[in-house]
Amino acid sequence: MKQQDYDWLSALRPNRRTVLKGAASAAALGTSGALGTFSEIALAQNNLRAQIGQIPGVGKGSPTDADWQKVGELCLGPTKASIKEGEFKGVELSFMGLNNQNLHNLLFRGFLKPWEAYTGAKISWIDLAQADYNPRLQQAIATGTVDFDILEMGAPFEGDVCGKGLASEMPDWVKKQIDIDDYVDYLKPPVGTWNGKTYRVTIDGDCHNFNYRTDVFSDPALAKAWKDAGNTGEWGVPKTWQQVQAVTKFLKGKKFKNQNVYGYLDAPKPWGGFGFYFLGSRASAYAKHPDDKAWLFDIDTMKPRINNPAWVRAIQDVIDALPSEPADQLNADPNTTGFQQFLAGIGSMIPWWGDIGQVAKASDTSVIGDVVGFDILPGSDDVYNSKTGQWDKLPSGPSHAPNCAYLGWGIYVMARVNGDEKKHKAAWSAAAHLGGKDLSFWMVLYPSGFQAHRTSHFQYDEWVAAGYDKKYITSYLNSQLASYNHPNRAVEPRIPGIFQYYSIAEDELTKIFAGKVDAQTGANNIAAAWEKLTDQIGRERQIGLYKASLGV
Amino acid sequence: MQNSAPVSDDAHHQPATKRAPGSRKAAGRALVLLASLGFLLVALIQVLHTTGTMTAGFSDWRPILIAYLVWAVAFGAGQILTRGERGHRALFLLPAVFFTVAVVIFPTIFGLYIASLDWNLSSIEGPRFSGFDNLKGMLNDTYYWNALGNMVFYTVAVLGEYAIAFGLALLLSAEIRARKLFRVVFLLPMMLSPVAVSWMIGKSLLEYRFGPAATLARYLGWDNPAFFASPWMARFSIQAMDAWVSIPFIMIILLAGLQAMPKEVQEAAKVDGANGWQSFWHVTFPIMLPVSITVLIIRIIFKLKLADIVINVTAGGPGGATDTVSSFIYRVYRDRSNVGYGTALAMVYLLLIIVLLTLMLRASKRWTQKVV
Amino acid sequence: MAISTVAPNPIRKRPAAPRARRMLGRALIYAALLLWTFICLFPIYWTVTTSFKSAVDVTQAHLIPWVDFQPDWKGWRSLGLSPDTLFGTSTARSEFMNRFVNSIITSVGASILALILGSLAAYGLSRFRYKFAWMRNDDILFFFMSQLILPPVVLALPFLVLYKALALLDTTFGLILLYTLTVLPIVIWIMRDQFNAIPIELDEAAFVDGLSTWGAFLRIILPLAVPGMVAAFILSLVLCWNEYFFAALLTSTDAKTLPVMVASQTGSQGINWWSMAALSTAAIAPLVVVGIFLERYIVSGLTTGAGK
Repeated sequence: MKQQDYDWLSALRPNRRTVLKGAASAAALGTSGALGTFSEIALAQNNLRAQIGQIPGVGKGSPTDADWQKVGELCLGPTKASIKEGEFKGVELSFMGLNNQNLHNLLFRGFLKPWEAYTGAKISWIDLAQADYNPRLQQAIATGTVDFDILEMGAPFEGDVCGKGLASEMPDWVKKQIDIDDYVDYLKPPVGTWNGKTYRVTIDGDCHNFNYRTDVFSDPALAKAWKDAGNTGEWGVPKTWQQVQAVTKFLKGKKFKNQNVYGYLDAPKPWGGFGFYFLGSRASAYAKHPDDKAWLFDIDTMKPRINNPAWVRAIQDVIDALPSEPADQLNADPNTTGFQQFLAGIGSMIPWWGDIGQVAKASDTSVIGDVVGFDILPGSDDVYNSKTGQWDKLPSGPSHAPNCAYLGWGIYVMARVNGDEKKHKAAWSAAAHLGGKDLSFWMVLYPSGFQAHRTSHFQYDEWVAAGYDKKYITSYLNSQLASYNHPNRAVEPRIPGIFQYYSIAEDELTKIFAGKVDAQTGANNIAAAWEKLTDQIGRERQIGLYKASLGV
Repeated sequence: MQNSAPVSDDAHHQPATKRAPGSRKAAGRALVLLASLGFLLVALIQVLHTTGTMTAGFSDWRPILIAYLVWAVAFGAGQILTRGERGHRALFLLPAVFFTVAVVIFPTIFGLYIASLDWNLSSIEGPRFSGFDNLKGMLNDTYYWNALGNMVFYTVAVLGEYAIAFGLALLLSAEIRARKLFRVVFLLPMMLSPVAVSWMIGKSLLEYRFGPAATLARYLGWDNPAFFASPWMARFSIQAMDAWVSIPFIMIILLAGLQAMPKEVQEAAKVDGANGWQSFWHVTFPIMLPVSITVLIIRIIFKLKLADIVINVTAGGPGGATDTVSSFIYRVYRDRSNVGYGTALAMVYLLLIIVLLTLMLRASKRWTQKVV
Repeated sequence: MAISTVAPNPIRKRPAAPRARRMLGRALIYAALLLWTFICLFPIYWTVTTSFKSAVDVTQAHLIPWVDFQPDWKGWRSLGLSPDTLFGTSTARSEFMNRFVNSIITSVGASILALILGSLAAYGLSRFRYKFAWMRNDDILFFFMSQLILPPVVLALPFLVLYKALALLDTTFGLILLYTLTVLPIVIWIMRDQFNAIPIELDEAAFVDGLSTWGAFLRIILPLAVPGMVAAFILSLVLCWNEYFFAALLTSTDAKTLPVMVASQTGSQGINWWSMAALSTAAIAPLVVVGIFLERYIVSGLTTGAGK
């Protein structure tokens, strides 16, 4: 599709055309020559962002294929500045990623179609279901059947891929093109790097935030019942896990809008390792001490902390809360709690990645769009200090530790293109196009599976201009920004095989939640299995990588 | 394996008279020898090429495949030339044997090798030989034993599936209207993929809040229709879903058997004054016994591989109540990349099934007619 | 015919109310048939209607289109298969079509190959006595069956390595070979039972008529075995069509099949019930057609058998 086809463009064409001409001529002088027209570009960029923000417009249904291509076409500016038309003719690239509900890879296809048309390169696609992703990647690495040039990958796998030298180091021109310094704090190195080399074009920011129902927590009838039940504090959104527990138990059997109302929703069913993050979100406030960067393992020995009092307390919290949750909660995984329960109006509090906020408003899976509020994860009145073995009360009040779970998706280029300069440039150009500053803005604006991850994504006016409600979006973005930049954020270790640890834990946790073993025994079992796994993968190296991933 | 040829003997009354004359025999032998040499040559070239001893060679091993094919054809022709009628008979079996051996021999041997390794794909040192350590680990693995215990339940449940399927097959072979319609309809569940079944039925139709099954259960007076929250209920729900998919399979085989049954036999029973139940129990059921045993054994083998529905719907929960050996192995192998241990578990499971199958076949020989 | 002709039989034990009993019996038969029809059809009805539902209609358990909810092409639109998107560009549709065609080629190819190899072997095992080293017929049959038992995970890494060496990764041919292997045992077993049920006297009659071993097999026995072949074919087709594990492992771009796309409808954005339902519906449709079409042959194959 040509950009000329669109009416809205004709009005803006003079402006845009001159800018591109300027950029192109500057590029002719040298790749970094574009800096000369910086102010002009900045101006054009604002226009561009406003334009793509209107495709198709928030509240006008889910974006379609044509929309993706339109956006891809409009955001081609930086590519045109560094690549000549038809420069990659004859280059064939293979791209492996997810087909996540016909997003991810299908979305990338749309974005890259105009790129393919312009550069002349051709991309073939390998789409995987989320559950197959990890095994496929690991088995491809182990048997030498890596048959892809570009890879969509989550940061936790960096240990497996970058650590084995399979990824291609990012060239400087790409860093410049995608404006890598724009990333929010927690996505800056060491995340995305390995041994000091940069590998990843970040396209997503991931973090658990706290989603709650504003209507439940402002309901006068419930507030009265809360007082009548003898509670001292005001009825409102819980700020600590202690309050979450109290509210959840209080809400059992209560009615709201003629429907049973529930408090916090746990996700006890395993979810291919991802379910463990939800225990992590309950535990981080207890286990992540501000004076200690580690919270999952002891930093010098990789001795698991999963069976220390902090984690056991979090597990016990789940056991205590489950009787107050819906009757089938034992078979609920995070997908159920998030999309079949919370968005469908059941339960009033859950932790989740930003998808919930993105979907609650701009997609038709949700019935609670107007009554969702966001915050960082609850804190705790006391926090466990694993050095002293004591529970500390901080002078500053409750201790918070947002769980920076998964660290988001990124685009990586595989080392197999390194031998072929043209292919190398083409692969990086494609990755840079997908991770472009403006394109990424569109991705975080609409339901795409990707969340805000650049400082420039947090200009609230742009969101409002695109059609978001100011109050809603401020609450949403603030909860994310506050988590990303929180001084006591709990960052996931990017060590090889991290999902194996999670998967083992999930298995044991379902036994605990089903009442087969108590919290401490189960936690001890997990710790023992983790020790075994660490030995199998290689303890010394794991310790080194764990330290590196925490930046110690 | 080129040296020992399958010998076919006359099973029944047509005497294998057409012996091949001497000259054809010699030609046949020469052909097989030539083809074998050619195959070995290609293989040798490729081995030398891969090990780096020789520069000439092929970019991949595909020529080996073609050489094998040529050799197999030559071998078949050789059989006819050297052994005449017996060769013709061997030709029935040879394609399937050659095919299976070619596709499976390398993976099985390689699989046995993997089973003896301590190999976690994330481990930087790669695989380490560990002998029987994986087996020792298995003995202490409560998950594996728990899953094996669950398999007993799932296997016994096959009898229930069989009973329902037999009933349906009888219904379909009764004199009814719209028989064709019913037949097609009863076949339909088999066609839904396990993935679709687990999501559209397990996670949607049986959903606690909006699933129509839960609505129906509430209407019938069950306040809390949580199909997957208590161990036994979850087991039964999983079993029900699997039965829904697989009953048509049993049914179609039984139906084919019922149709092949001579009508005269049944009618003779009627004339003898047997009522419906008697004629079923004394006539139909015994005649159907061989096909029943076949279908039961196939079905049990499939049941022992049950995994997809469990993985998607309960992930083995609650507390391992619905876990199957296959779904546990999948977790070890795929989610945890512990391929050495996972393969070892699968190999042991394979052995267990083979022993079980042998016992079942032995026991069933009493009822089934023997080959020949 | 058998059941309906016994009514006037004089030796019935309670001739007093044969008619009422018969009516009751027939009513029970139809009640059972209808009950099972409901059990078979309802989940499929649920799947098909879900492909026309929006999220709210799914989560509020609306059942009947136009009464409960307003059907919408939602699921089909997400695949680019609704009337309004059918002629526009759609990545999802081209992805779907590509996989759909591959699924057909792979499953039909594997089923036919397995049917040919399997029928031959089954006939051989049913009629002749083989000796191969220590193996007799039963052992050979067991050798085939053991391929069915093999849990797929055992084969995952070996097949990756093997197929890489043979340059068969991501090829339809490679997938066909593998699927043939997995369904061959069932075909052999079903067909052997089928051939066993055909009297050996028929072979002998053919030999008397001057037919060779192969001639007797192809011209006399094989046509009689059609019901079994159809049953075996349908089973293999279904198994290959729905195979997921190896499809996800061994294919990338050229040979990819449908099941992985169905599984892709769930992930970090919840579950797209409508598109999963639409995909499941589209995936089951060809099999239903095959079922309707081939079901006739099970019957006609039978009449051939009964007519001789």
